[in-house]
Formats: sequence, structure tokens, C-alpha cells
Amino acid sequence: MDLASRRGLETDVYQPAEDSHLLAETAVERLSSRSPGRLLEVGTGSGYIGAHLADELAWDVVVSDLNPHACRQARDRGLDAVRADLVEPFATSSFDAVVFNPPYLPTDPDDERDDWMEVALSGGHSGLVVIEPFVETVGRVLATDGVAVLLVSSLTGVPSVVGLAAEAGFSAIAVADESFPYETLTVLELVR
Amino acid sequence: MKESLLDILCCPLDKHDLDLEDASGEDEIESGTLVCTECGERYPIEDGIPNLLPPDMREETPA
Repeated sequence: MDLASRRGLETDVYQPAEDSHLLAETAVERLSSRSPGRLLEVGTGSGYIGAHLADELAWDVVVSDLNPHACRQARDRGLDAVRADLVEPFATSSFDAVVFNPPYLPTDPDDERDDWMEVALSGGHSGLVVIEPFVETVGRVLATDGVAVLLVSSLTGVPSVVGLAAEAGFSAIAVADESFPYETLTVLELVR
Repeated sequence: MKESLLDILCCPLDKHDLDLEDASGEDEIESGTLVCTECGERYPIEDGIPNLLPPDMREETPA
């Protein structure tokens, strides 16, 4: 069974699920203790998390996605949307926070489909294929005291992500987790 | 897109500033082109969404 049918999905854009809710609520809780600044949500999908953050926090929110259909849905929610590969087109030190619910499911290359839902869900063989470049590049767009808030699954392996963060100069702290039948979701906060 | 967004955008290839050309729209920029001040690469803004994927990725992604 491929990833999309496992999750009962059939659209061009990933719609909010347990991971989205956990990340949205945790990011609001964590960021509300910081002074409001500018925030980027990477891989916004439907725009659910970005819109929740914009509603609940007095921060400027910008969202990005690789998928043009996702950018459209996010813009229809009234968000500033940019079609982008991770943080590549954002200027150095532009953000006080970056939030990301990445594609993290480890996937057998033989099962990969060539569509947007696969892009939204699959983290490649290791589950880290998108998380790794994100962790390596996010530091450039973050202010010195900025924070990255990243959702990770036990299916990907939290220790591997903590290791990647350390290589990129971040300390990673688990700030929330929630268990489901197939996985435990953890929200990591990355700070320098 | 809001014009203020220009302050935080850069060329995805070389990270240099972008110039806005042929902008149209009322409260926000609905269409136009962002041009890298260094390498000259052009990035379209369509329906208020700037497409800042590097040229090779515009083609690679599923439709």
C-alpha cells in the first residue's frame, strides 16, 4: 500500500492531520513566550499551520511550499505564500522562527509515486531526505537567537535528527510528543 | 504578494537581491517578474505567488 492510500488521502495537497495539529499547537505555545517577530512556515501544504499561527500569534507569517497547488490553497487562506525549495529564496537572518512539518515517512524507492502527495509524505529511504538539507540550511535564514520548530516521527528516528542538528550547530530539545499506533510524533526545538 | 515581502526574498541560486519588474496589482502585487541583480535569472509572480524555484526545479516536479 502506498503512503497516500495508507493515510486515506487522494488530493494534490496534504490536508491537516494529527501531525499538523500537534505542531501547530506546540509552535503557538513555544513562540508565545518570545517577542513577536517574523516567522516562516516551510512546506505549508494546505496552509493550516501557518493560518493557525497567524491567528494565535502577533507574528508576521510567511509560508512556502514546493507544490503550486499548496501555495494556492495557502494564499486562499490569506497567507503570504512563496513557491520555494525549503529556505533557498529567503534572505539571510530574515526570520525569528521557522516551523516545518516535513515529509518524514521512510519509503521504499520501488513504491515511490510521481505525484504531489508522495512529495508531501515521503522522506526517501531513510526518511531524512528532506529533513537533512532543511537542518543544514535553516541556520542561514534564522536570526542569531531564532528558533526552528520541527516535527519528527519515531519512524524517521528522533536521534538521527538530533545528530544532524548538532552537526549544523544547533541544540535540539524535544518540547512535545504524542503517541499513535504506528509512530510517536515529537516536536523538536532547534536553537543555537 | 505584499511588496514588503521583497525585503526577505533573494535569488535561490546566489542569494543576491531581486528587482521587481512589470509589477501589476492594486493592494498587492498580483503579477510581475523578480530579477536577480547579480545573475539576471528571472522569477515569475503569478496570481500573487512568486515562483522562486531555481529554473531546473520548475521542470522536475510533478504536475
